[in-house]
Amino acid sequence: MRVVIAEDSVLLRAGLARLLADAGMEVVGEAGNAGDLMRMVALRAPDVAVVDVRMPPSHTDEGIRAARTIRERHPSCGVLVLSQYLEEAYALELLGEDASGLGYLLKDRVMDLDRFVDSVRRVGEGGSALDPEVVSRLLGRRRGGPLDALTPREREVLGLMAEGRSNRGIADQLVVTERAVEKHVTSIFGKLGLPAAEADHRRVLAVLAFLRA
Amino acid sequence: MSGSAETAPAAGATAVDGGSIGAGWRGAMLALGLAGLAAGLVALALELASDQDDALPTGLAVLSSVVGWAFVGVGLFAWWRRPDNRVGAIMTATGFAWFLHSLVAANSAPVFTAGLVLQNLAIPLAFSLTAFPTGRIPTRPERLVVAGAWVWATLLTLALALVTVPGPGEPENLVLVGDGGGLESTFRVIHESVIIALAVALIGALGARWRTSSAPQRRELAPVFGAGAAAAAMLAILTLVDATTDSTAASNTFRALTFLAVAGLPFGFLAGLVRARVVAGRGMTTLVQRLGDVPAPGVLRDALADALGDPSLDIAYWVPEAAEYVDAQGRPSPLPGPGSGRSWTPVEREGRRVAVLFHDPALDRDPEAVRAAGAAAALALENARLDAELRRRVVDLRESRARIIAAGDAERRRMERNLHDGAQQRLVGLALSLRLARRHVGDGSPAAPLLDDAADELAETLAELRELARGLHPALLSERGLDAALPALAGRSTVPVSLVATPGERLPPSVETAAYFVVAEALTNVAKYANASRAEVSVARENGRAVVEVRDDGVGGADPAAGSGLRGLADRVGALDGRLEVRSPAGGGTVVRAEIPCAS
Repeated sequence: MRVVIAEDSVLLRAGLARLLADAGMEVVGEAGNAGDLMRMVALRAPDVAVVDVRMPPSHTDEGIRAARTIRERHPSCGVLVLSQYLEEAYALELLGEDASGLGYLLKDRVMDLDRFVDSVRRVGEGGSALDPEVVSRLLGRRRGGPLDALTPREREVLGLMAEGRSNRGIADQLVVTERAVEKHVTSIFGKLGLPAAEADHRRVLAVLAFLRA
Repeated sequence: MSGSAETAPAAGATAVDGGSIGAGWRGAMLALGLAGLAAGLVALALELASDQDDALPTGLAVLSSVVGWAFVGVGLFAWWRRPDNRVGAIMTATGFAWFLHSLVAANSAPVFTAGLVLQNLAIPLAFSLTAFPTGRIPTRPERLVVAGAWVWATLLTLALALVTVPGPGEPENLVLVGDGGGLESTFRVIHESVIIALAVALIGALGARWRTSSAPQRRELAPVFGAGAAAAAMLAILTLVDATTDSTAASNTFRALTFLAVAGLPFGFLAGLVRARVVAGRGMTTLVQRLGDVPAPGVLRDALADALGDPSLDIAYWVPEAAEYVDAQGRPSPLPGPGSGRSWTPVEREGRRVAVLFHDPALDRDPEAVRAAGAAAALALENARLDAELRRRVVDLRESRARIIAAGDAERRRMERNLHDGAQQRLVGLALSLRLARRHVGDGSPAAPLLDDAADELAETLAELRELARGLHPALLSERGLDAALPALAGRSTVPVSLVATPGERLPPSVETAAYFVVAEALTNVAKYANASRAEVSVARENGRAVVEVRDDGVGGADPAAGSGLRGLADRVGALDGRLEVRSPAGGGTVVRAEIPCAS
């Protein structure tokens, strides 16, 4: 898997490159600003770009804008946005309409090395990755209604689905079988009245749409 | 002292007190007066001694000299009062020129001939009285008419003299060219047509100026313009009558009427002066009555405007500490500059500057009236001045408070950015490096738990630092406004929050920041003290105000004076001219409501 990293902090950029290389990915470019990022994505055809939200020169939300542009012009390249702060507004803006090949994580998540690598890989493969904190806030906001009908385990599964995990990933996380996860998923969709979705990122969208409603 | 855009160069030198004029000047005036008297007597003698067939009857001859004397007399009076103003000089000159037309009554050929050439010079001079009241002819049409009158009185009159064949009883015309070539009647028709046209044009020009004049200007112009228009009309009619009738009686009747109308000019001028004084006097009595109680600033202005007959009058008050004038609301009110078409007169009380009256330049011609009105109102103006000075201080304080808060906000934003781009970034990098290093250390190594602990500690530090930075300044707020920042705020609350309304648009940054911190602080208090099961937040724009409301269903009893948080918020809201209100009856929940003006 080919990766481009856009991050203006040199130490963090080097650490990320090291981490992803160790995980067997090929880091084909390291950018310090949005302009360099766009050029590297165009020239080196990566599978995924790991992008900091705030970058020079304006230090506002160029990462979000770059992510949207990349998804538009290079649909084969996924974008994982890293942010110092979790802002649902950005997350939903980014993933709200098409979650495929998109991710939004708190920067601190890089410290959970394996899970972070998994997120990068998922986004690179066209899946999605939404920060668990954002998910739990969305879940927390929807108190009452059909969510109350879910068992605690089903709520856990719903949250992991919203993060963009596959059944396989959920099963690993919860240390259960994939069969068990599938049963939970069917039950959840039934209780929430959602149409069953095959692809993981479609599932994310359906869950997000439900949580935002 | 007064200043005005219209009469700026003359204003400082305005002499209202005749006593300040030197004795030489007074002697010259006296000499001119005596000369005028003598000239009138000579003219009268010429008329009465005339052997000509159409010599003026005695009554008309006397009236003619009286008209001339009226011009000289009133002209000298005006000249003496206002030496800087040319109107008096023009009027005096008109009087002297008026006597010239009697030369044609002479029996001596040289005097008669001089009369033929010079007899009409009084007309352009009289036309020049449109320079009233400033001494300068203000409009282009008026200047054109006056120029035309000069051409008529000199060139056309000379041309007519060159072809005038003396009538029965008249002495020889010494400048007659040959036998006149029979051109006299043609030239006379042209001569008469031109003066009729000029008289009509003058009336039109006066009318045009009248229509664009302000109320005080009109009050001043009325008698002079009335008399001037009447005289011009009579001049045209007389010329027409002279040309169309052979009846000496009819001609003399109209001549008498014309003389009376022309005499109206100096008397109209006098009447204007007197009338202004009467009006001012009456206005002053009313002014003093109206100032009896302590008047509100608006009433004070109206009273002065009425007393001086200038609806445009305005007042500004002197603030010594700032060395500037301010209006009744305490806002700076600079003196009108040149070309603004406004004049001003300062008001002093016991030698100290109190206020300045902004008024119509027409009032500069009657500075005593303005000064008298100012003096009558000085005490009331001093009271109003103290009020305006306080208001100015309030305006100042409010502005400086807003500036201090804005500076604080800017500093917080800068610190937040520095944290974000500096320490936070480096710590994340460091944490990642520690985790990577940990991978290369076996689980059994004594370094392993140390590295794990260090990384965990770093994660905690990062979380704390993030909260600290967010508390300094929420980046999302400046980037996306309240619509994005409020849901994020609500989402972080430990008490369920429903967001009822957000503005749906960007508000001024200072308003957004204040509204955000009001909601943040209120929600913090809800979580800490209210013991509430839910809270509601709404921020909406209503009638040019941002209305922020946070209500909960908790225990109430919050004391806004107790916590420094709410106190600081009230200051922040107050600096924007807004209000913060906390209603928190015991057991009845708490409502925090802020209203902040936000002009778009």
